[in-house]
Amino acid sequence: MDEALIRRAQGGDAASFAELLDLHYDTIYRFAWKWCGHAANAEDIAQQACMKLATSLSQYRFQAAFTSWLYRLVISCAQDWQRSQQRHDHDELPDEEAMTEFPRHEDGIYLAQVLATLAKLGEGMKETALLVHAEGMSHAEAGAVLGVSESTISWRVHTIRKHMGRPEARASLAYE
Amino acid sequence: MNEKSIEASLKRMIAPAPDPEARLRAKRAALEEFARVHAANQDAAQENEKTSEAPAKGLWSALRLFRDDSSHGSTSMAWFVRRNLFAGVAGVCVVGLGIAMVWPMLSNYGDSSLLGDPQPPMTAGLEPAAGDNPPVRAFSNTAGPTPPQPALPEPQQELPVASAAKPAPAASPAQEEDKQLNEMVVQGYRQRLEASIQAKREAGVVDSINAEDVAQFPEQNIAESLQRVPAVEISRTVQSTTPADASGDVSEVIVTGSRISRAAMQAPHKGVAAPNPRSAGRVAANVYTPPAPPPTATRELYQRAAIPELSVGVPDEGRDKFQQFDVNPVRQVADEPVSTFSADVDTASYSFVRRQLNVGRLPQKDSVRVEEMINYFDYAWPAANSAKTPFKPTVVVSESPWGKGRKLVHIGIRGYEIPRDDAPGANLVLLLDVSGSMDSPDKLPLAVQSMELLLSSLKPTDTVGIVVYAGAAGTVLEPTPVKDKQKIIAALRELRPGGSTAGAQGIERAYQLAESHFRKGGVNRILLATDGDFNVGIAGTNELKGFVERKREKGIFLSVLGFGQGNYRDELAQALAQNGNGVAAYIDTLGEAQKVLVQEAGASLFTIAKDVKLQVEFNPATVAEYRLVGYETRALKREDFNNDAVDAGDVGSGHTVTAIYEITPVGSATRMVDKSRYAKEPQPPAGTGTASEYGFLKIRYKLPDSDTSQLIEQPIVIAPRDVPQNVQRDVQFSTAVAGFGQLLRGGTFTGPLSYEDIIKQAQTAKGDDPFGYRTEFVQLVRKAKVAREM
Repeated sequence: MDEALIRRAQGGDAASFAELLDLHYDTIYRFAWKWCGHAANAEDIAQQACMKLATSLSQYRFQAAFTSWLYRLVISCAQDWQRSQQRHDHDELPDEEAMTEFPRHEDGIYLAQVLATLAKLGEGMKETALLVHAEGMSHAEAGAVLGVSESTISWRVHTIRKHMGRPEARASLAYE
Repeated sequence: MNEKSIEASLKRMIAPAPDPEARLRAKRAALEEFARVHAANQDAAQENEKTSEAPAKGLWSALRLFRDDSSHGSTSMAWFVRRNLFAGVAGVCVVGLGIAMVWPMLSNYGDSSLLGDPQPPMTAGLEPAAGDNPPVRAFSNTAGPTPPQPALPEPQQELPVASAAKPAPAASPAQEEDKQLNEMVVQGYRQRLEASIQAKREAGVVDSINAEDVAQFPEQNIAESLQRVPAVEISRTVQSTTPADASGDVSEVIVTGSRISRAAMQAPHKGVAAPNPRSAGRVAANVYTPPAPPPTATRELYQRAAIPELSVGVPDEGRDKFQQFDVNPVRQVADEPVSTFSADVDTASYSFVRRQLNVGRLPQKDSVRVEEMINYFDYAWPAANSAKTPFKPTVVVSESPWGKGRKLVHIGIRGYEIPRDDAPGANLVLLLDVSGSMDSPDKLPLAVQSMELLLSSLKPTDTVGIVVYAGAAGTVLEPTPVKDKQKIIAALRELRPGGSTAGAQGIERAYQLAESHFRKGGVNRILLATDGDFNVGIAGTNELKGFVERKREKGIFLSVLGFGQGNYRDELAQALAQNGNGVAAYIDTLGEAQKVLVQEAGASLFTIAKDVKLQVEFNPATVAEYRLVGYETRALKREDFNNDAVDAGDVGSGHTVTAIYEITPVGSATRMVDKSRYAKEPQPPAGTGTASEYGFLKIRYKLPDSDTSQLIEQPIVIAPRDVPQNVQRDVQFSTAVAGFGQLLRGGTFTGPLSYEDIIKQAQTAKGDDPFGYRTEFVQLVRKAKVAREM
């Protein structure tokens, strides 16, 4: 890819960094949106991710594809963000409000539940499902992003499939 | 549904295009960060020089001056150039030694710590010397609005060095300082941005203003800019005539209660401490709709503020605040024979629960206070005959429907009902929240309608005053006799939610108004109608409670009427009403307003007994265990019972208060707690004739104008005689309500009890039900049955 651009940005050239942001902001934002399902929260996460990009760009060593590296960064920002949300809003239902802005309302509730259920399945499950199903990555690519092996991703996808097909899971998703 | 559809739906999930403004914001923030990181790297490099390379540095600065100056070519500089040449020559000698000593250290340092930075430390040091733009400046061209520049003019930058044109090593600290100064400006700005972002995240606060924003506002000074943040108001000492004067007149900034003193405001242009976001916190959240279209720069702020209003699809009850509490446990009579609690006549919990169930969801557990649900209904407990002994207790023992072998002890009290004609005159002040958040059909309009209903239950000579807050400041209507009803209604109908940010010292003003028209021997009461934003001009909860308490001692009471949902602060409403000797009611419909303000107007307005406390001592000979249903938030200590200084609940004219104990008689097979193997069971006290009693009930109360309490006592007998039919029926109904409340709280102690059982029980005990409240209750239980927790 535009390796030269990244190298210039790593070298401290702000113009190149700005260009890099322009190129990738949409990716960052859209993925953040899928992660949390809420425009304003996605903006927050995206902004965090951009700032983090500024601080940690120098750590990018051109070993993985830049987008994979970027996805990992967004995911870690999103997770930080959620933790901080939970810290302030420790009442309950931290996700509920975040889940109300899908384009079509029924879809919204349904997807909100899918995301919530996925999040409950265990660590990395939601991320795996998003990368594989929503972003259309291969298991190997998703593994590279999440820093786990390809077979782990395959196992996770399998678990998700198994779990979501189960009657309890269906019952827990009230939309039908 | 199967995994296919999950995959499909995840794939179908199309993220909307990002908001360009957000994009710009993110980019700006990232570029700041970028600049900071690289500035920090340079700092590190400089630090490196400072500690290890002082002599060498002299050379670089001298060389730099030489070059710069020659390019300026000014005659006055020529002298310095020459001097610097000498300095340079002198420096070279020193440096030769310095480099030899330091070079190995330097190269190590560069390898280990500056890997991420492509500039080796030497070039970092050199870069400014080469006269290039420092990186900070380089990016600012691309970063949209220009951040405040370090922007020291070039010649100035030279000055310290020029004046220090002595031996080179001496020159270097001066220049060091100069550079540090530049950095400080940049960092300060950065830190404020960061602090502002942090503030938003930490406090859940919706707005923050930073220096950058302020520059884009049209206001005269920062205080005025701050006023754009919801829940911030400024007050001026003198009303100024020209806008230009206004800047000097700000006397204080009030931030949702917490005040920034004038001292902090002395030099408004030098930057005021940001409002403490923690105290603004929840109160400020989602309460504000802007009065006028804001300038572009601020629009994003308002959009953030408006988000909760926009996402109406699912009412977000998660923000409503309730006091958390645990259900009363089963207690052993042997360990703890005495149970003490305060009367509670509030009904807010029932209305809130109803509201949630009506939209098809189960209420938050902490919003369910079983005693308030029970006390929502009027029961047929016999009334007292005179105002002197304003109530007499009714005690009924029945079988527990959910615990085999256990019994329920009902303690019912009905307050003396003051005949309407004898009712004391009333001096009411309505304190209405008219902030932007009240702009919803179930808030301000409902509050106004409720107040109109209230007028119908007042006497013509009673007076009503109106004070509003968070809006067109202050008194809307001086206390006006109810016979001028039209005037009052006209004033009420004038009220509009929103208005300017300049709020009033709402609650203080309301009390002032009530004091100025104080009625001796009458009812002096403030009715606070709010959706939970208690931004009424007094700081923190405790200060507010203390204020209400002090005023209570002067004879002015406070009741709270809650409206709407989303950020309802039930806990605070309860606390205030309790401290103000009033009721906290939650009004979700006009029907509820009718109930609270018309049918029960007497109860809501006229207190017949203050600080009503109940204490039951159980008889260890007959009772093994007991459990008080509800009243968790009203528990008192045993010693508080006889202490008249301890505040407790108040009972209004005609109020009924009901408490239910579930007890396990001695010898029952269904004890919750096993007998101790080692400790001995207490032996029943011999032959005192108390074997026919489960326990002993004591009630303490104060008459409204008295400060000493009186005592009512009555034994709880195992088999009460002649319980009238209607009392038995109401015992059954209140049992059904108690069961329902406990189920909503999780049903820890209700065993096999189901919603079906409750419906059956309530149906047969409905009685006349003239207003339909009991029928409505049955409907609610049905709704709870189908409600699924989201």
